Amino acid sequence: MSPEDRPPFFRTWRGAYLLVLGALAVEIVLLGWLSRHFS
Amino acid sequence: MSGIDWAVLLGTIGVVVAYGLWRTRGAAQLNSYLRGGTDSKWYTIGLSIMATQASAITFLSTPGQGFEDGLGFVQFYFGVPIAMVVLSATIVPMYYKTRVFTAYEYLEQRFDLKTRQLTALIFLLQRGLGAGLSIYAPAIILSTVLGWSLTWTNLLIGVVVIAYTVSGGTKAVSQTQQLQMTVMLGGMGLAFIYSFMTLPDGVTVSDAVGLAGAFGKLKAIDTSATFETRYTLWSGLTGGTFVALAYFGTDQSQVQRYLSGESLKQSRLGLLMNGLLKVPMQVMILGVGVVVFVFFLFHAPPLFFNAPALERARQFDGAKTTALEQRHADVFAKKRAAIDSWVEAHHSNDEARQRTAEATLQTLEAEAKALRKETKALVTASDARANPKDADYVFLSFVMTRFPSGLVGLLLAVILCAAMSATASALNALGTTSVVDFYKRSIDPTLADDKGVRVARWFTVGWGALAVAFAVFASQLDNLIQATNILGSIFYGPMLGVFLVGFFLPKVRGTPVFIATLLAQAAVVATWLGSDIGFLWYNVIGCAGVVLMSLVLDLRKA
Repeated sequence: MSPEDRPPFFRTWRGAYLLVLGALAVEIVLLGWLSRHFS
Repeated sequence: MSGIDWAVLLGTIGVVVAYGLWRTRGAAQLNSYLRGGTDSKWYTIGLSIMATQASAITFLSTPGQGFEDGLGFVQFYFGVPIAMVVLSATIVPMYYKTRVFTAYEYLEQRFDLKTRQLTALIFLLQRGLGAGLSIYAPAIILSTVLGWSLTWTNLLIGVVVIAYTVSGGTKAVSQTQQLQMTVMLGGMGLAFIYSFMTLPDGVTVSDAVGLAGAFGKLKAIDTSATFETRYTLWSGLTGGTFVALAYFGTDQSQVQRYLSGESLKQSRLGLLMNGLLKVPMQVMILGVGVVVFVFFLFHAPPLFFNAPALERARQFDGAKTTALEQRHADVFAKKRAAIDSWVEAHHSNDEARQRTAEATLQTLEAEAKALRKETKALVTASDARANPKDADYVFLSFVMTRFPSGLVGLLLAVILCAAMSATASALNALGTTSVVDFYKRSIDPTLADDKGVRVARWFTVGWGALAVAFAVFASQLDNLIQATNILGSIFYGPMLGVFLVGFFLPKVRGTPVFIATLLAQAAVVATWLGSDIGFLWYNVIGCAGVVLMSLVLDLRKA
């Protein structure tokens, strides 16, 4: 992959995809905690 | 509305439209008109994608949904980040490789003309009606709350959108959406912060969060495995992903946004930006509704938030309306006493007293809900065409009565920006699909650049006029509006199925896919008419139907 095709901060697109999916996982965990803790 | 509010509202809308027109002056090449010149950066694409999805109803109904049901609706959006990753990795590179103008153009390269034009036709039908609704839905609420004329509100939104969309094409839409989305995010952020400031003295953020939790408004995740509950973690992750894949991957109003990217990298980054911001943005908008709910625990809410509808009910049956209002006031007084007791117990860490107050509150909340149900029945009896869902009016009523001058104008600008951005994308995509998939393909294949732009402009004007006409006459077509809402869910599944077969089943040919699409479509319609399955599952059924039946029919043919 040429440098101009790479995403910023990552060597490959897989890293950027994992960041997005990781953020979703964190959001679900936080919202799950909110649901349990305040119900 | 004060003079400051009018100045903020008209100033914001004026700047947004003028900026879009100025940035796109002189754009007259067919490529730049339809594809936006392919020089957009990731942040323009990302904001444009978000603005296309965020219709005015997002900012009117979503806080209302938070007010009524809490944060649970956010689960619908869990599929968006997953879909953004899948699209970036698979479909978007394919679109770039084939250098298409529309998503449906790809289907002719892969299958045949009839499959391309069938999907393009489904898109035109669905989005054409949807464009009218994206004008009408906010117009009816704005005109009710603000006392504006419904017809003039429809015309105002429609004419402004048509003007800049026709004038500057795809680039004008993307450039204005960049500013519109900034206004929307900024405005809702301020609304979120200011909503907390409206809580009474002595009530802390911790109290507000605790009270919202006690009423079940913070139950964002539902892990129950049932098909009947509309929003669960599982329906969000599966059905929500299918909806998002279909919407962002095959709906031309979205595809056109990222095809205007400077490169594949910029388009991918724009989509991933949407994937990162979508869930937090929805939590914030639903959160505004939850804070408004807490506010109305301390201040008496109206019996019904749609004031003109309540007035009609009063004229229809004054005695019953007054009796309902009296019972409503009694319930509120008892609730207020229990709330005060809960807050005192919360401050003194008296858990036993807190639990007692919560039990009382739950009984009173059930009474309040029963009262709301009776009120809705009365409102519907007084006017069969009245909208019984007054949650749509909660946020705007709250803004108009509780927010300071200036912020009211900004929030109205947010709603109008949202109405314009969603409509502009739709008109832009409808014009493009009409030209590329029908006019240029079947009527005039040698269409020259300058004539092409003229034709595209006329198609956009035509679709715009149709959308405005639909919006103006929509009040007489209530069933049609309901049908339009369901239309999206019914068509997206089969549409996604066609594209998935195209991308991942290289041996399957055009005719089996064409027949499978028609059969799967019929199966989805039968499911809608004959079962209680939540609408998110239609997408799974339609998509799986096309994929499986294409395989079977292709094998039989072979």
